[in-house]
Amino acid sequence: MNIEETEDSLYPIAVLLDELRADDVNFRLNAIRRLSTIALALGVQRTRDELIPFLDESIDDEDEVLLALAEELGNFCEYVGGKEHAHIILGPLENLAAVEETLVREKAVESLTKIAAVLSQQQIEDYYIPLIKRLGSGDWFTSRTSACGLYAAGYQNATPSSQEDLRSMFKALAQDDTPMVRRAAAANLGKFAKKIPKEHVILDIVPLFSKLAEDEQDSVRLLTVEDLVAIAEVLSKDECKNYLLQTLRSMVSDKSWRVRYMIAENFVKIAKAVGDEVTRENLVMAFVNLLKDNEAEVRTAASGQVPGFAQYVDKQTILSHILPCVKDLVTDTSQHVRASLATQISGLAPILGKEATTEHLLPLFLQLLKDEFPDVRLNIISKLEQVNEVIGIELLSQNLLPAIVELAEDKQWRVRLAIIDYIPLLASQLGVTFFDEKLGSLCMSWLGDNVYSIREAATINLKKLTEVFGVEWAKTTIIPKILEMGTNQNYLYRMTTIFAITTMAPAVTPEVIRDHILPTVNSLVSDPIPNIRFNVAKSYEVLIPVLRQCSETAVLLETQVKPALDKLRDDPDTDVKYFAEKALLAGK
Amino acid sequence: MGQSDLDGQIEKLRKCELISENEVKELCRKAREVLIEESNVQRVDAPVTICGDIHGQFYDLKELFKVGGDCPDTNYLFLGDFVDRGFYSVETFLLLLALKVRYPDRITLIRGNHESRQITQVYGFYDECLRKYGSVNVWRHCCEIFDYMSLSAIIENKIFCVHGGLSPVIGSLDQIRTIDRKQEVPHDGAMCDLLWSDPDDIEGWGISPRGAGYLFGGDIVAQFLQHNNLDLIARAHQLVMEGYKLMFNNTIVTVWSAPNYCYRCGNVAAILELDDKLNKNYKIFEAAPQDVRGLPAKKPAPDYFL
Repeated sequence: MNIEETEDSLYPIAVLLDELRADDVNFRLNAIRRLSTIALALGVQRTRDELIPFLDESIDDEDEVLLALAEELGNFCEYVGGKEHAHIILGPLENLAAVEETLVREKAVESLTKIAAVLSQQQIEDYYIPLIKRLGSGDWFTSRTSACGLYAAGYQNATPSSQEDLRSMFKALAQDDTPMVRRAAAANLGKFAKKIPKEHVILDIVPLFSKLAEDEQDSVRLLTVEDLVAIAEVLSKDECKNYLLQTLRSMVSDKSWRVRYMIAENFVKIAKAVGDEVTRENLVMAFVNLLKDNEAEVRTAASGQVPGFAQYVDKQTILSHILPCVKDLVTDTSQHVRASLATQISGLAPILGKEATTEHLLPLFLQLLKDEFPDVRLNIISKLEQVNEVIGIELLSQNLLPAIVELAEDKQWRVRLAIIDYIPLLASQLGVTFFDEKLGSLCMSWLGDNVYSIREAATINLKKLTEVFGVEWAKTTIIPKILEMGTNQNYLYRMTTIFAITTMAPAVTPEVIRDHILPTVNSLVSDPIPNIRFNVAKSYEVLIPVLRQCSETAVLLETQVKPALDKLRDDPDTDVKYFAEKALLAGK
Repeated sequence: MGQSDLDGQIEKLRKCELISENEVKELCRKAREVLIEESNVQRVDAPVTICGDIHGQFYDLKELFKVGGDCPDTNYLFLGDFVDRGFYSVETFLLLLALKVRYPDRITLIRGNHESRQITQVYGFYDECLRKYGSVNVWRHCCEIFDYMSLSAIIENKIFCVHGGLSPVIGSLDQIRTIDRKQEVPHDGAMCDLLWSDPDDIEGWGISPRGAGYLFGGDIVAQFLQHNNLDLIARAHQLVMEGYKLMFNNTIVTVWSAPNYCYRCGNVAAILELDDKLNKNYKIFEAAPQDVRGLPAKKPAPDYFL
């Protein structure tokens, strides 16, 4: 009995092991994904003695399977018996870190790093460092590339003499003949620097950084931008100035636009890392140059950094140096530059304050709002709230309302949609009188828009406005106009009436439903178009719980709603029947 | 399969998620029951919105619904060519088919020349099924449904709708009604012509450069309309940069509903809204913007570094 039970429980494992040997790659892939189950069933001893050696052999498989294996092994610690046995997993991962396919190697490095984090100093010394050495001195660039990613994880747990070894080995990789390895070294230098005490960073890492930053390949140089940020974060401000400034200066004017792009993309981070003084003295002009770069990509990236960078310099510098560039960018020939600027420019408002915003930024907003490229218009609208907080709604609306009203009729429906989303906010700040005067008719006109999504957004907008201005306002201002549309010739607009009143129903009082909404819904019960009739049924389903809320309107359920639904239930159209049944059921 | 299962599948497909192979099989079985009842010249009531080729451009189909309204609230008539060329033929066709099964009176699907075994093996639908399901079963189920789809539609006895155009062997609608449509699209003959022909500025009939179907002139259209007491022919089948194109003194219109066709043609798309009095309203729409598409937005920056 006992034996039988054991055999039974081992049976699925036998199947899985078989699958690992199967011809079909999908079977092997599935087996790898269930590797932890196999290990769990085998127990830690047999996992170490049988499964891991088996996996060591199966290294010769399709990349897809290897990738899955590399990932699974990273979480394998508990299945081999915990930390003290974790080093045993390094074996198969070492093989995986040396294969040709980059994705597999990267995943193996990631998993090795995970395992390294749980190893003791002894295990690091006995297994992990020798592994780095083997990979780092491999004949193929593949294994040396992988080695670059392993240093940061092992360093802090190694003995001082091994640490010295690690530093000098990394140095050798950073000077490797193959650019692929130097690229990997550049990509990992920053991470490595974070693990090393400052004096060694200055002594060992900074020279490597300077060298890589001058590499003949721009694909290596551009990776050192992030190293620069990481190293600067470790160093003091003075040290940054002494050790990094010169390299940084040559990087911002690198002859390769890809390097300048990386600098521009990371400019705020760089400014933050090197500190105020270096920024003020050295980076302002560099930033101005990037904003004026010949390549649109660089200008796009730099435009995105404008408000972030502005935080690190004084207002006078912004006004005298940065703002003139921004003014030029507003009319940049590249739409991507203008779109990027439109997303970010409103971030300058809180920094500049009310007066300067009104004087300098508002004209730029107006220009961007009129941009011929819809993304630019969309980006600027969706960030207006920030400006509103600084200069107040009155000033904003005086200056921008005409442009906003114009955009409300934009031929791109997504621009109109962005404006609608902005209306409730505008309404709450403008107040009812101003709103009715300037925007009321606009909100109603959207209900008759050619595009369904705009009509839908318009109904939701009216509900939100009802919440802002109250039911009394809705009753006199918008509901009559909505109900009027219930007699439109086109069924799609009559449908909008139903959608609008159904959407608004939860926001109004039962009395308004009784006196205004319900009669209109009732009148559409005998509409000639079935689509209207089944939406009437759907509408009743929403109205029923609202009517039930107060006893005065609850009686209407029996006298008006139920007879109407009964009529719809006998409709010749299947869909009308279906939705009428559904509403009746919900009403019970 | 109950209505709530079907509603669940429609929800999934609307999000561009696949349904299981078994669900496809069951959906196709149901669809067959619905489609087998339809005439070769399916009667459609106004109001209805007419749509042209979609070609697997799922997110642009969603854009179409955003502009025209959702099904079932808006009635739709699709003129075929749901599959091939785009990235999401499977999701596109299954969504439309599921809507057809769920709301048979609200949506009409007729067959295009791409709803064919031969064509789909060349232009993408076959490969897409194989890639997404790991077998060709889904493709087989769909092809079987293609054979059941109607060949044309007629709106309020006034507007004749077909994927391609007219045929020299067909003078009256009744002749279409006698075709045995439950077959693969043939290489010639009436059924082939309806799905393959194009109008052209010629007189009479001409040889089609497509190698199937014919070219037909304004006189042919006029004769056909007069003989069958019709006002208009609505068809798809040809890319129109402006989304729709009227010809022959407004007696035939081409409606094209795949914006930026093949993700690179730069054209706009159109749908034709007919109200219950058959008043026409053409609506133009553009391709869905990158950020609402399912594919990870292609970030320009990192690509340079690969």
